[in-house]
Parts: sequence; C-alpha cells; structure tokens
Amino acid sequence: MNKMHFKVGLFAAASLLLTGAFLVYLLHARGFFERTYHLQLAAASADGVAPGVPVVFSGIQIGSVTSLGLNDRGGIIIRAEFLERNAKWLKENSTFTLDKPIVGGAKIRVESPDLDAPALPDNSTMLLLSSDISKEIPVLVERVKAILANVEHLTRKDGEIHGTLANVQTLTGRMTGEYGMLEGLLGSPEKARAVTDSLDKTRALITKLDAMTAKTDQWLYAQDGVAQQVRLMLNDAQASLKKADELMANVVEISADVKEGTQDVAALRAEIDDAVRKANALVNEINKKWPFARDPEVKLP
Amino acid sequence: MNFLAASIESLGAKIVGWFTVAYGMFAFLARAGLLLLDPTTWNRATFDVVIKQVYFTAVQILHIFLAYAVVISWLIISIILSTARDFGLSEFASEMTIRTLVLELLPFLTALFIALRSGSAINTEVALMKVNNELDALAHCKVPPMQFEFLPRLVGGVISVITLSALAGLLALLVGYLAIYGVNTAGFEPYTRTIAKILDFQILAGLVVKCVLFGLAVTLIPVTAGLETPKKLFMVPVSVLRGMMRVFLAIVAIEVVSLALKYI
Repeated sequence: MNKMHFKVGLFAAASLLLTGAFLVYLLHARGFFERTYHLQLAAASADGVAPGVPVVFSGIQIGSVTSLGLNDRGGIIIRAEFLERNAKWLKENSTFTLDKPIVGGAKIRVESPDLDAPALPDNSTMLLLSSDISKEIPVLVERVKAILANVEHLTRKDGEIHGTLANVQTLTGRMTGEYGMLEGLLGSPEKARAVTDSLDKTRALITKLDAMTAKTDQWLYAQDGVAQQVRLMLNDAQASLKKADELMANVVEISADVKEGTQDVAALRAEIDDAVRKANALVNEINKKWPFARDPEVKLP
Repeated sequence: MNFLAASIESLGAKIVGWFTVAYGMFAFLARAGLLLLDPTTWNRATFDVVIKQVYFTAVQILHIFLAYAVVISWLIISIILSTARDFGLSEFASEMTIRTLVLELLPFLTALFIALRSGSAINTEVALMKVNNELDALAHCKVPPMQFEFLPRLVGGVISVITLSALAGLLALLVGYLAIYGVNTAGFEPYTRTIAKILDFQILAGLVVKCVLFGLAVTLIPVTAGLETPKKLFMVPVSVLRGMMRVFLAIVAIEVVSLALKYI
C-alpha cells in the first residue's frame, strides 16, 4: 500500500465530503429545498427600499425584498420573498412598516399582534406603512430652536430671570439677618421687630382674654349665677300664670251663674287673655334666647 | 537630451520586458490548458505526479496550516467581536467575520503560505533543471516536461489552494460560531441565516475563481520564472527572487481586483 497515495486520498475524500456537506447546508440555509412565499406590499413611497432590504419580525430577518415596480395606476409595488419556515409569522392581521433609522439601512418591520390569526396566503398584497424618523428631525430642530431662542431671551443680561435672581439674592441676604425669614419678607430689621413686638402684645392680650372669659363663665353659669336667677324668675312667672289660669276658670264658672253683667266679665276675660298671651310670648322669647332653660342643669366648663 | 533619451529607452525596455514575461506566462498557460484538454495527457503517470504534487503542497503541511488558520481566525474574530461590542454593532460581527475571514483573508493567506513553501521550491527546482540541461534531457527521452513536470504542478497547486482555502474557511466558520455563541446550539439559526445571506452563488463562484487564480499564480509564475533562468548556476537565486516578487504582486493584484469587483 502506497502511504502517500493513501494520505492524499484521505485528504481529498475528507475535503470533498466536508465541502459537499457544507454546500448541502448552504443550499438548505438558502431555502433551496423549500417553497418560497411571495408577498406584495403596496407603498406610497419606495424611498430607501432596494432589492435585498430585509423584512424583519421581532428583530430577526425572515425575508427580503426581491424587486420594486410600479403598477398600472402608478402605485409602488414591493415584492418580498420568504422561506416556508418563516412565512408562518405572516398573518392576515399583520402590519408592515418601513423603518428608516438614522444609522443603518432601511428595513421592513412585520408585526403580528395575534399569532392565532389565519395565515397570510401566498402572493397576497398588503399595505406598507412608513415611519420615517429623518422626516421628523427638521420639525424637531425648528421647535428646539424656538425653545432655545426663548431661553436666550429669558436669560439675557437685563432679563427677567436676571432681575429675579438679583432680588432672590437680596432676599436671601436679608434672611441671614437677626430676624431671618421675617426680615427677608418685610425688608428691614425695624419692621421685623415691630411685627415681633405686636405678636408679643397679642399674646399678652390673649392671656388676659382667657382669664376674662373664665370669669364671665363663672358669673353666668355658677350655682347662683345670672342664668340660674333668670331660670328661677321664669319658673315664678310660670307659677303665677298657672294661678291666673285657675282664677280664670273660677271666673268662667262664676260667669256661668251670673247671667247679668256679662259684658264687664267678657271685657275682663279679653284683658286676661291678652295678658296670658303676652306672658306666653315672653316665656317663648326667653326660651329661644336661653336654650339652657329647657335643661335646668347648667354645666360649668 | 541624451539622458532623456536614455531614460525613455530604459522605460521602453522595461515595458517590453514586462510584456515578454506576461506573454511568456500566458503562452505557457495556453499550452498547459490545451494539454489539459487533450485526453491522451491523462494517463497513470500524469496522475501520479499530480497526486505527488498535491501531497507535497497540501497534505504534508495540513496540520501546521490548519493550526495556523485556527490561531489567525481566533485572533481576528476576537478583535472584530470586541470592537463590534464596543461600538454596539454586535449584530454585524458574524457577518463581518465571515466576510473578512472566509472570503478574503484566509484564501489570501493560503496563497501566500503555498507561495512561500511550494512556489519557491518549484521555482528553484525548475531553474536548476534548466541550468543543468535536465529539461532537454527529458525531452530527448520522450518525456515531455510540460506533461510530466509543469502541468501536474499547476493542477496540484490549484487543487491545493482551493482545498486548503475551503478547509480553512470551514474551520473559521466553526471558530467564529464558537467565539460568538459559545458551545451550544442556540446561535445555529441566526448564524445559518447570516451564512445564507452572504454566501450566494455569485460570491461562491467568485471565491472559487479567486482560489483558482491564486493557485495558478503560485505555480505558473515560479515555473515560467524558472524557465527564464539563463544557464548559469549563480542566476538561480536571482530567478527565484524575481519569481517570488512576481508571485507576491500577482496575489495582491488578484485580491485587489476581486475586492474591486465585489464592492465597487
């Protein structure tokens, strides 16, 4: 056996085998053994689209554009090809968007929100939407320019912000003085002192008022205070009214016996009635003004 | 005036010299091609010489060459990967790896490797045969040197460059996969897609044509340079020197033209 021939033969066989296997792999990878799906995309503009532009689903390429053309009515038709194994991601409710990033090539993005939807049939036509960031840039730049101009206007040498900042500086400078914030707000230590003084006086006044209210309370509601006396007086009035009532009843009885001279009695009756009504009104009035009258127990604070 | 005339004359002589060399080379190539098509050429003896040539050019250095290919692939892939990550372009790393290594760098380095090792040897051998009148002797004994010495070398060189480039390329693909995705099958799908995207029919055909041209350059140029040697022993090193310079220029020219065709 020729050793050299054996080695060369082994080398050739291994190389051929490897190359052949790689070619089969490459053919498989390029979809030679698979059906291809075709898709037509109708677009308003084919700007940036060229044969070979990838069609991506979730960031992974599943197909590519094969050709561009115009239809009979001048619309743009983009034809794309997919391998059978990738075509399953295309659904009837899929959306196709043309993405043109600032860096990198254009690509067609497929979004299939519902993967249970029926599959897109071969050779169907879909609409291609466009999301062009570069078109929005000039608008954005204009806006930013306007904002910058405003900012510049605000921050100019004699501008409002400048003045405000100067004022803030004076204010904070005052705030570091003896009377702090108060001095900052009022402008000078003298005014701040006046305010603190009046505050002190107010406090003293409130203390006095406190004491006075306590005394008034006692005067009004104590065991033999004014309120108690008024209540007693009212009770007396009520009692005398009751007596008047009894008297009245007696008078009516007498009047029934005495047939004559009723006119005088009637006049008397009217007068007494009037007096009773007035007394009642007085009682009611006092009741309104002194709600404690209902509840004779006076609670001391 | 005299100086100008002399410089123009020397320029003309140089151009004529280049044309003579180029013509000699292409005439030789044409004769070799015709002989290749001639069915009587392909007998047992010619096959044996081709096999011997393939053995010396490719099989003998296979382990060294593959080790070298793995090391250089690993280095370049690491550089590409880290740079791509730094710039946030990792998604393009595998594509860049395949393009630079498999399509350009490895065939180029294979051609240089074979030119250094076999091309120089062929050049020296042919030059010595020429100086020692062995070629005439062979022709006299009805052993045409074209059929038994030169054509097998050309064929062997072409086969060797193609197979070694292919093996190195496959190895680089494997090394690239391991470097990018590690030892698991998770990256198989995207890697396959990238390979499928890059290696279309045109690119593969271009790669094969480039390898054939490289193979011819590293064998044809040394043979013709050896045949040009004047019959003086001290001219042998000069012949080898010239031959190797031409080989180098030819390899670079082929690479540049292939790149220009591919990307311009």
